[in-house]
Amino acid sequence: MLLKVKNLHKIYKSGTHALKGVSFEVEEGEFLVVIGLSGSGKSTLLRCINRLIEPTSGIVEFQGKDITHIKGEELRLAKMKIGMVFQQFNLIKRKSVLSNVINGKLGSLGTFESILEKYSDDVYQEAYRCLDTVGITDKAKIRADALSGGQQQRVAIARSLMQNPKLLLADEPVASLDPATSNSVMQYFEKINKDLGTTVICNLHFLSLVRRYATRVIALRAGEIIYEGAPRDIDENWFKTIYGEEAEEVEIR
Amino acid sequence: MIKEPELEIHPQNFIEENKKREHKYNLYKAILLDIFFVFYSILVVQRAIYYKFFLDLRELPFSWNEIILLFIISVIIGASWAISRTSLSCKLFGIAKENKTTKWSVEIFAWFLFDITFIAGWVVTKISIVGLFSSEGLQGAERLFSALFHPQFGIFDDALFAMIETIYIALIATLISIPPTLLISFFTARNLMKENKITFAVYYVLRIILNFVRSIEPLIWAIIFSVWVGIGPFAGMIALLVHTIASNAKLYSEAIESIEEGPVEAISATGANKVQVVWHAVVPQIVLPFLSFTIYRWDINVRMATIIGLVGGGGIGTMLMQYQGLARWREVGLIILMIAFVVWVMDYISAKIREAIY
Repeated sequence: MLLKVKNLHKIYKSGTHALKGVSFEVEEGEFLVVIGLSGSGKSTLLRCINRLIEPTSGIVEFQGKDITHIKGEELRLAKMKIGMVFQQFNLIKRKSVLSNVINGKLGSLGTFESILEKYSDDVYQEAYRCLDTVGITDKAKIRADALSGGQQQRVAIARSLMQNPKLLLADEPVASLDPATSNSVMQYFEKINKDLGTTVICNLHFLSLVRRYATRVIALRAGEIIYEGAPRDIDENWFKTIYGEEAEEVEIR
Repeated sequence: MIKEPELEIHPQNFIEENKKREHKYNLYKAILLDIFFVFYSILVVQRAIYYKFFLDLRELPFSWNEIILLFIISVIIGASWAISRTSLSCKLFGIAKENKTTKWSVEIFAWFLFDITFIAGWVVTKISIVGLFSSEGLQGAERLFSALFHPQFGIFDDALFAMIETIYIALIATLISIPPTLLISFFTARNLMKENKITFAVYYVLRIILNFVRSIEPLIWAIIFSVWVGIGPFAGMIALLVHTIASNAKLYSEAIESIEEGPVEAISATGANKVQVVWHAVVPQIVLPFLSFTIYRWDINVRMATIIGLVGGGGIGTMLMQYQGLARWREVGLIILMIAFVVWVMDYISAKIREAIY
């Protein structure tokens, strides 16, 4: 078992009860997709897993170890094994693609070394390998903000690959992209999942993407898991339960 | 029959209770404000308008007994007016009675307050149309202007050296300010310091100190330092330095506060340590604004350095002061011309540089 989440609660200072006792398990090699409306707690859930947000109560167990309360060096080591990709890509716009990718390695580089930005050849080679995985080696020297949205997201994926992650979290990675680009970006996640064996947990909106890429689905509504199962089992009724009565499914190809 | 015990606070009662309490506080506030308004009117009418304007007294008679008497009168009038709920303050706090008396008294009193304030301001400023257009005054101005427009170029090389001194004072003050400003700005950025109580306390104290230092004009700092280290360019430089650090630290830290959170989140998610997060996610986002602020500040400092020279901060300002004291207006004319030219050039250059880096 790679990840175990037990009875996770998150109450924000504003009083919002974002997660209300979420529990699930993730096996190694799975492609788990989390669906649900905006505000259902998907982003909070992912951020609680890698501790960008501190859960209020509950347990997150990663590789058999409770990481809910670890601090300092231990927490950094855990974070290094968990990659993350964001909806807004979150690249450093003014820096080159290459240095953005190398940023993924910061955890295992010395502070001094990383401030001077004098890296060894190994680091550069690794960065190029990661860029190769997402197919944009030719853009390495270009400023990150000169790329299109889809390309920026691929750079962000390469950055997370630099960590050699055991687990890759993706928070609505294609929500700011057009349908065609969405599919191509999702294919890179699939490739990483299948070829490198990296476990993926991904927040998604479009059911057609969910059916195509997920090996398992959990659905959140108002901070609670209301569905857990195979993607093909989500029928019309389940869809209405998850997204509300008025919702209609939109195809994305 | 046994009465049911009352349960907690009934929400309806609770709201009404709150309303009542608020009403009471508003009344207290209205009473205080009305007393102030009446006291202010009496003092302004008596001292500025009656004594100064009608009697044209040079020295105003002052006695505590009189003031206290006037205050007691104000308390009586103000308080009774507020309690009758027809006063201006009652209207301001929304507790006035809605009737004609209120309407009239509020309107008349508001206009009265405005008028006496304007008249008192006129009297205090000693506005004199006659003074502006008297023939004697106009002749003096003409003499001065004609001297200014015929600058004495004999002192050009001296003035040039003084000008260069001024530019260097500004440059050194700006350059030296950069490292301490950088350091301080990170500690005064709310988004970096809010995490725990100790850092937040540091943030708070530093902010207060910066606000205090910034609120003192460079001119005052120059006076302080010309006593401390002696009159001259060094005093001027330190004065500018102190003020530059305080002002730019605020601008810098605001730039830090307005960065995008996303990259910071992304870099900390990779397991980077705190220093690495700041260096790789925060710094790249603030380099350009910092550079822009600093260049602009150099421009400001050149202008301030001339002013600081007036109180002994060295450079062209000190020279200007000397010739002005000797009433040698043609020399003053040359100096003013040079200052205007340099300020214009600096303004142009700094604008161009700032455009280029964005």
